[in-house]
Amino acid sequence: MSRHLRFVARTVMVQNGDVDAAYNTLNRILTQEGIIDTVKRKRYFEKPYVERQRKNFENCRRIYHMEMARKIAFISRTNREDPWLGC
Amino acid sequence: MYKLNCILLSSVNNVCRQLAASLNANGSSLLFPPLPGQESSLRFGGVKFEELPILHIKATYNNTHIQLTDSAGKSMVRTSCGMEGFKNIKKSTPIAAQTAGISAAARATTKGVRFVRVVVKGLGPGRLPAIKGLTMGGLEVVSITDNTPVPHNGCRPRKARRT
Repeated sequence: MSRHLRFVARTVMVQNGDVDAAYNTLNRILTQEGIIDTVKRKRYFEKPYVERQRKNFENCRRIYHMEMARKIAFISRTNREDPWLGC
Repeated sequence: MYKLNCILLSSVNNVCRQLAASLNANGSSLLFPPLPGQESSLRFGGVKFEELPILHIKATYNNTHIQLTDSAGKSMVRTSCGMEGFKNIKKSTPIAAQTAGISAAARATTKGVRFVRVVVKGLGPGRLPAIKGLTMGGLEVVSITDNTPVPHNGCRPRKARRT
């Protein structure tokens, strides 16, 4: 961090003295950015074959979840105009 | 190259802040700290954000260290779980971190410190309890920064444990 500006990245101000909310916000930001994940993974060395397996698995999982979410969103559509109007 | 990065980063940050400011048109919500680029009228007990003392919390998996430095980096107060009388496995507990936080806050208030910015390093069990201990000890936390070191594939860590 000494080569970057300090107190710019990964910083959250505490509002109204609510330290818990600030910490939760910080945690949420870090998880969404994938930093907590990376830190936990880099604690021990991950061999290249394990890394390839994990990446493959995460790709498949992402595809599956996206497709499932798309399917659910499609099926749960209501209040649309009549597609067979006029028949 | 470093100055170019700084300018780029500050310009990106400015855009982010302006976006955030336009989204939160309330005026009282401030999520990002004021940059050193002369924007703020924010004072904590009469002190600007850049001149507040910094409290470093190093939360390892076996212990938690707390060190209070002034804005220039000179150390004022230094505590850890071991200094509170905990030994071995008891140092890596949230209660030990909370005790260390309370003692650090007590020593800081005797030195006349009220507002402090917190910098956390590491993902250990004492990460949140140390901050809780600070607030319990009477110190005002102004901002929380995360400074956990993330290597961009630098040194090779130790081998995986098999339990």
